[in-house]
Amino acid sequence: MRATCGLFVTMTYLVLEAQTGELCYATGGHLPILRRIGATGEAEIFYGDEGLPPSSEMMRVVIGSEPRLLNILRAVVKFRAQEAGFSKSDAEYLALAIDEAAANVIRHTYGGCCDAPLALELHNLPDRLEFTLEDGGPKVCEDQIRPRSLDELRPGGLGTFFIHSFMDECSYDPDFTPGNRLKLVKFLSRKGACCDESSSANSG
Amino acid sequence: MKVQVRILDRISILDCTGDVDLYSSPRLREALLAEIKPDGPSVLVGMSAVPYIDSSGIATLVEGLQLSRQTKTRLGLFGLRANARSVLELARLHKVFTIFETEQEALEKIGSAKPFDGV
Repeated sequence: MRATCGLFVTMTYLVLEAQTGELCYATGGHLPILRRIGATGEAEIFYGDEGLPPSSEMMRVVIGSEPRLLNILRAVVKFRAQEAGFSKSDAEYLALAIDEAAANVIRHTYGGCCDAPLALELHNLPDRLEFTLEDGGPKVCEDQIRPRSLDELRPGGLGTFFIHSFMDECSYDPDFTPGNRLKLVKFLSRKGACCDESSSANSG
Repeated sequence: MKVQVRILDRISILDCTGDVDLYSSPRLREALLAEIKPDGPSVLVGMSAVPYIDSSGIATLVEGLQLSRQTKTRLGLFGLRANARSVLELARLHKVFTIFETEQEALEKIGSAKPFDGV
């Protein structure tokens, strides 16, 4: 089912037997269930006993601009990146980059407003993963978003540095309106480049 | 994310559990800055149960480091997981913080250090 505004409608139906812990569920195009593990709060994608669902080349996730929801974006990115062939550590770096981009939208573009939409699209292409992050806030000035020098010891300002370090391409769509669309690309052929300190340090 | 504070050998230890991100870093900030007092006990941050830390979490640690220098309090981190250590290294902060592998090493070295040696 496809709604207006380019959004999909999905559903998940779950029945949990509280006494036995048995969980039965059916899903109609919804994102995978996240299972929280123990006291650490770590989350993993849970698919039950039926194996992985078929992957589609594109996935779109829409959340409200609440900081507590950022872990959903991280889990999705980490899963899709590993599915696309990135190592676990590189997938974690990509999740960090997306988390930082989304956090920047929440903090700066939306000014901390928690009920604005934030949409992440992931395109799984043969040689790369493309991410687009859309918001409905005021236009950002791309020239003012630059990684800061690492020579300064001060809190803050590292988010943009991490984004540029872990992604191969980073650009705003000037024609997207209203709001902003940030496009981030990571190529598979540059595996292991996520932590290339020499290249990242020169980025800004 | 949870932060539990305990005192061991007159050293304040903050045991962190869970992701440190934009949502949870204010909790770490509140706990950390409350423990760093002028000429107070050394402070250790345990991070073995922190699977993820973002720039807001790192900013919190940097803020704590700056306060520790102002108050002449020693601050150390221990138990960093590989990805947290990598992120600190990428930001060139691994040589700025005093980092120990384990809590035992942190207690031994911070406990035997001079009152304040600038770290």
